[in-house]
Amino acid sequence: MLDWLTTSWLWLTENWLYIVIPLLVFLATYVVGLWVRRIVYRAFNRWAERGKWEGSQLVIQSTRTPFIYWFMILGAFIAIQVSKLDPASKVLADKILASLFVFSLTWVAVSLSIKILRLYIGKVPRLQPSEPLIVNVVRIIIAVMGALILLDVWGVPTTPIILVMAAVILVAALAFRDLIANLFSGFQLAQGEQIKAGDFIKLESGESGYVTDVNWRSTQVRGLDGNLVMIPNSRLLQSTVVNYGRPLKKATKPFRFYTHLNLKELTGLQATNLTELAKLLKEVPDPVIYYHTHSFLEEHQYLTPEPANDFALWVSDELGDEVLGEKLANIDTFDFPSIGALRARIEGVIGDYLLKKPDERTAREGREFHFVRSTSFILATPYIAHDLREFVEVLRQVSLNSLSYHIFEARLRLKKGVNDFSIWIEDCLEDKDLADKLAYLDPYNYTLDGLRSTIIQLIEKRIK
Amino acid sequence: MQDKIYLHSRSRLHDYEPIVGISCLEDLKVLAEKLAGKIIQTINSTFVGGGVAEILEHMVPLLNQLGVDARWDVISGTEEFFEVTKKFHNALHGKRERISPGDFALFSEVTERNLEEMKFYGDYLFIHDPQPVGLIAKKREIGNRWVWRCHIDVSKPDKKVWKFLNDFIVDYDAVVFSSPNFAQKLPVRQFLVTPSIDPLSDKNKELDSATIDSVLAKYGLTSDKPMIVQISRFDRLKDPLGVIEAFEMVSKNIDCQLVLAGGTADDDPESEEVLKEVRRRAEGNHDIHVLLVPPGSDIEINALQRAATIVMQKSLKEGFGLTISEALWKAKPVVASAVGGIPLQIKNKLTGLLCYTVEGAAYDLKQLLSNPEYANWLGQNGREHVKQNFLITNHLKDYLLVFLSLDQHSDVVYL
Repeated sequence: MLDWLTTSWLWLTENWLYIVIPLLVFLATYVVGLWVRRIVYRAFNRWAERGKWEGSQLVIQSTRTPFIYWFMILGAFIAIQVSKLDPASKVLADKILASLFVFSLTWVAVSLSIKILRLYIGKVPRLQPSEPLIVNVVRIIIAVMGALILLDVWGVPTTPIILVMAAVILVAALAFRDLIANLFSGFQLAQGEQIKAGDFIKLESGESGYVTDVNWRSTQVRGLDGNLVMIPNSRLLQSTVVNYGRPLKKATKPFRFYTHLNLKELTGLQATNLTELAKLLKEVPDPVIYYHTHSFLEEHQYLTPEPANDFALWVSDELGDEVLGEKLANIDTFDFPSIGALRARIEGVIGDYLLKKPDERTAREGREFHFVRSTSFILATPYIAHDLREFVEVLRQVSLNSLSYHIFEARLRLKKGVNDFSIWIEDCLEDKDLADKLAYLDPYNYTLDGLRSTIIQLIEKRIK
Repeated sequence: MQDKIYLHSRSRLHDYEPIVGISCLEDLKVLAEKLAGKIIQTINSTFVGGGVAEILEHMVPLLNQLGVDARWDVISGTEEFFEVTKKFHNALHGKRERISPGDFALFSEVTERNLEEMKFYGDYLFIHDPQPVGLIAKKREIGNRWVWRCHIDVSKPDKKVWKFLNDFIVDYDAVVFSSPNFAQKLPVRQFLVTPSIDPLSDKNKELDSATIDSVLAKYGLTSDKPMIVQISRFDRLKDPLGVIEAFEMVSKNIDCQLVLAGGTADDDPESEEVLKEVRRRAEGNHDIHVLLVPPGSDIEINALQRAATIVMQKSLKEGFGLTISEALWKAKPVVASAVGGIPLQIKNKLTGLLCYTVEGAAYDLKQLLSNPEYANWLGQNGREHVKQNFLITNHLKDYLLVFLSLDQHSDVVYL
């Protein structure tokens, strides 16, 4: 031990310059580094104060400390170069220093880019849920690049690794192409801000509703039936989307669409002439009158915009009495607030006619007038409207049975005196003008499809 | 008793969506849910042949797809029994038949045997036509809801036969007829449910021209002259001789051909005889083609209807006349008699032409052959009318409503 100390002391006294010079070089580089950092960051601060880029402070904070480390690594590198180390040791030392530099640079790049990303994501609320995903992707990319450079420093061949990674990325891209497409589409949506939560959108495929959320992968829409629909962003970008914008005035109570299905019941009552028809008209219950004044409309929706009631058709077609047929056909069901009033009018027309003209005609066998009644089964549909936009879109979709229920059946059979739509628009949206327009629209003058279009047009005009 | 057949519908419920719309299917699902846990036992006289079997073949699987536990059984009967029920059938249609006390006794005897042999497991027993009507006797023992479905034109029934059947009918909870004309004075509720066609069945689905041509070639028909077609089993009530007479009046001035195509049903022993008569009457006229089409030749029937210029149904009596719905669905102009349920399908001059006589039929045929645009307009209206009222989805809806209404007596029912 004593010998070793003695030998070392002798070597130091003879070769002290080989140690002191690299140390001095290292210290000098460190001092220069401190000086350069001071100048550079002062200039950088001035530039940052003049500029408006919010990320400049982040750059300063993240690089100020590592900056001096990088000068220390530079100092060590120069010191080793001027030292008397053998070439092999110098190469090893260079690699270690280069590795330290790459490592610290990677660390700073990761830290800085994440801080900048967070700064920007924080400003775009719709991107916030996706922040962990974005941060991790960036972190992995920079780390992989750093690792590749490190491997290169140590002489490990990186080309095969890069090729393998490229292949893996390609396979992954193919396997997750939908996801990637959705991510890019989500990015485009976020960039363009074309669709936002709260907008009412309609796709060319017919789906429509209010957007409740937009994230990187999909857009969530509350459909007209109340169900949440996740639409992949790529599909959203590929299809034609009508964005109606922000919600309209919300109703105090939503409108639930119902529909009705009719079952016909035979009464066993039949008339062969006008006298019998008039007599039975007084006796049959209201649903029979309702059926015979609405059946043509419901069973021949496509055929004619002005369906006559069954009494008029039978009198003219079967009894061959065109005059009375016309008088009965001219009874406008819309004029009557109740089935009772409508029945009285039909009875009155036939009664007056019989007073002036004897009842001479009889129907052929098998062509008698058969009194039928219908039972209405009312079903709730899944469709609910909270405002006029939703209402009009639902109206496009519901069955004609639903339309006839709210327009015809509600007014006359359920004795509301006016159609359901007008009641809701007046009571829950306080839009009396529109409610009146719908209430005064004579629905018996249209086919059901025509009626649907007319109502939609009236509402569209209002909400434009 | 006939063996049970395995029912399989090639059509899935959602296959109907492009035709009838999603809301129609949604409505059906809601109705079916209301019958969850209940068994509907359908009983008729045959699994094969005739309109009833044809409807049930499509309807039962669709009810099952909706989640309704519908099952189908048939009664057993001897040839003599079916001869008696054929007489009943004719008599109910108003035709004079000699029905002896022995016939009634045989009917009762076979009914008794079926009552002993059959299993009655349905919550709803859905009995079709007169053959199994006597099974209602079981109601006293097992209770449950019983519905009698009458597919026959009973507007002017033979009083003796109707009285005999009436004793059974009054015990049912409800009766279903196909036309308002058939309504009777009964102490039970009477519903009106029109029969239907399945637009996706072999008989009604779209066919390519190659298939149609191959069927025409098979029967030696050509498409180079207008074709008048009547599809119906060989039955006097379908008036095939009247059709030939009308055709002869038309073909004097217009070059055309007539196709009378049909088959026979297990429960109709008379049809062979009628077929012979028709063949004799058509002998020597090369423009009249009498085709005996075996059961199951639905594609061929479809092709013949699609190849037709005009479809006829000159029945003397008719329950409903599904062949008319089939023709209208193919947008064909139809000339048909104003009997039974036919006026429900044909609104004269709007969805087809109605006639009362052979002369009227001939006149209508001439009108349509001479005015193809008018014929086409009628055909298109007819297709819409069938779409709206006579497709199987509408039929399913009506049956479900009938079962649901058995416990409801209000005019407005909230489900």
